[in-house]
Amino acid sequence: MAQVVLKEIVKQYGSLYAVNNVSLTVEDGEFVALVGPSGCGKTTTLNLVAGLLPMTGGDVLIGDRNVTDLDPKDRDIAMVFQNYALYPNKTVYKNLAFPLQMRKLSKAEIDTKVMDAAKVLDIVHLLQRKPRELSGGQQQRVALGRALVRDPQVFLMDEPLSNLDAKLRVQMRTELKRFHQDLKATVIYVTHDQLEAVTMADKMAVMSGGFLQQYDSPKNVFEHPVNMFVASFVGSPAMSLIPLEAINTGGKIALSSSEGWQLPLSEANSKKAQTASTSKIVLGARHSTLQLHKSKESNSVPGRVYTVEPTGDVTFVQVFLGGATVIVSLDPSVDVKSDQEVWIEFDQERLHLFDGETEMALTDP
Amino acid sequence: MSMVSTAPSRRRRVKIDPWRWVGRIFLLFLLTFTVLPMLWMVLTSIKSQFAAMQYPPQWWPAEPTLQNYAKLLDPNGSTGQEFLRYFWNSFYVSMVTTILGVIVAVPAAYAFSRFTFPGRTFLFFSVLLRNMFPSVVFLMPLFLLMRWMGLVNTHGSLILTYLTFGLPLSIWLLKGFFDNIPIQLEQAARIDGATRFQAFFFIVMPLSTPGIIATSIFSFIGAWNEYVYAYTFLSKQDSMTLPVGIQRFFTEFATDWPGLMAATFLMSVPVVVLFLVLQKYFVRALTEGAVKH
Repeated sequence: MAQVVLKEIVKQYGSLYAVNNVSLTVEDGEFVALVGPSGCGKTTTLNLVAGLLPMTGGDVLIGDRNVTDLDPKDRDIAMVFQNYALYPNKTVYKNLAFPLQMRKLSKAEIDTKVMDAAKVLDIVHLLQRKPRELSGGQQQRVALGRALVRDPQVFLMDEPLSNLDAKLRVQMRTELKRFHQDLKATVIYVTHDQLEAVTMADKMAVMSGGFLQQYDSPKNVFEHPVNMFVASFVGSPAMSLIPLEAINTGGKIALSSSEGWQLPLSEANSKKAQTASTSKIVLGARHSTLQLHKSKESNSVPGRVYTVEPTGDVTFVQVFLGGATVIVSLDPSVDVKSDQEVWIEFDQERLHLFDGETEMALTDP
Repeated sequence: MSMVSTAPSRRRRVKIDPWRWVGRIFLLFLLTFTVLPMLWMVLTSIKSQFAAMQYPPQWWPAEPTLQNYAKLLDPNGSTGQEFLRYFWNSFYVSMVTTILGVIVAVPAAYAFSRFTFPGRTFLFFSVLLRNMFPSVVFLMPLFLLMRWMGLVNTHGSLILTYLTFGLPLSIWLLKGFFDNIPIQLEQAARIDGATRFQAFFFIVMPLSTPGIIATSIFSFIGAWNEYVYAYTFLSKQDSMTLPVGIQRFFTEFATDWPGLMAATFLMSVPVVVLFLVLQKYFVRALTEGAVKH
């Protein structure tokens, strides 16, 4: 296993930058998730690491080798594709053996390695079948097996779970995580599902518009999103963002809404708010940090319930507030109805402030 | 109980669909239309010259004979020598056309399907340009060209011509085929240690066999049946192909109908055999991509 370094990699299609100056280091044995909405450049980035696309600029280092100009076959990587890309005309055994044959291993060696991988993934009984005779989960295992047999330096995975049904996806997610822990493998994993990234990865790289937005542990990304995009992308349901106006009330800052209410900020938050380039400030809050009151309380602001979505464990309530909708999670026992007047209390310790112009998170000066 | 009572009532509900019968009758008509001439060809080929010319016609040969076939296939007789010569010429021209066609069409179609390069769309549609005109339009220009290149009376002239006529369809058909093979398969192969060419050769080629076979059949049949160009380009008797050669059975005073029919029958044998053996690939090729797998 090895470290992977991306140095200012760029991929340009005509005037469009699919990947724009992305630099990041994946440590040896680390599980890194590239995450972002469709078209954000995450798969392109993965293909650049794999060498399947020519790079416009930048360098890729695997281990201590600069592989920028090497063919995919010489990079010592393995890849699992979204559609598994199993060779349809070959049996499972031959699918697993193909990478070894290409490396000119002896028949006996191939046989041992294929059997080992098949045992690990519990697909020994499928070896003589063709891919089309397998279920989605089994195909997924075979695809993983084909990556595994070669003992590569890096595993690249391109949305490997997105073709599975919901239940199997959760199951394979745990298996993949376990697989990574047991093998101490370096994994770069592309997904559009932030939940997969958060649950599996040691670090996540959030991408948007070809740019790397934030690269940190899921916990840090979740707790300290660097900008509004990351804040709204990571976490489910998404962080609620309310555009407000900052006004100075004798040294302290209060956020004022077009509806007329004001939310005075704590001292620490006031300092953050003062660093903004404009008076427009976006207030961000996760559903779990908000409290819903049925009657007016101090430090709470008025809103109106839009919808109530019970999920069983927890009920999500969408509330119209200051021209935006905020999502609050409630215990299912609490009874609220649509169009009911409610009051929302923000947790000053756990709210997020963003610059209304630059959309960047406001931090301590 | 309910199961027992529903079964017969469901059966009763199946109506006789008049359109289904109209369709069947139409198909029967088509079948007769195509099979009858062939049947007559076979029947005539086993008649004697006298019986073939009788009026009213002899529907069933009174004295069936294989004499005509024996004459055509006898390597010692003059007719046999001639016929076998034409047959071989046709086979040679068609085979070389087919093989060269595949050699050119496969990489061309693959390039159109997988690579982006300047002028790709233009080139792809210009491939079709030839097909926008009836082939006779090119007869004289091509003849002049062939004469200028000294290729008149050689099989090379025909092979070149048939290639230019057959390639557009081959390339389009094969491109459709390659388009349907997920690019991830090649990417996987390249990551698994294959070069670009190996990925193509080991992974893409086997998957596109039906397409390659279908295009081969197309170009083989095209070359095998072609008459006008063969008639124009080749005037030496020993280089003639079958469609032209068979014509020699028409003579000014007496046409040898049974012999002609036997020759025609023998000429259709390779095509029919080719179709029967490879038809499952052929059908797959034409319906490929019609439904998502």
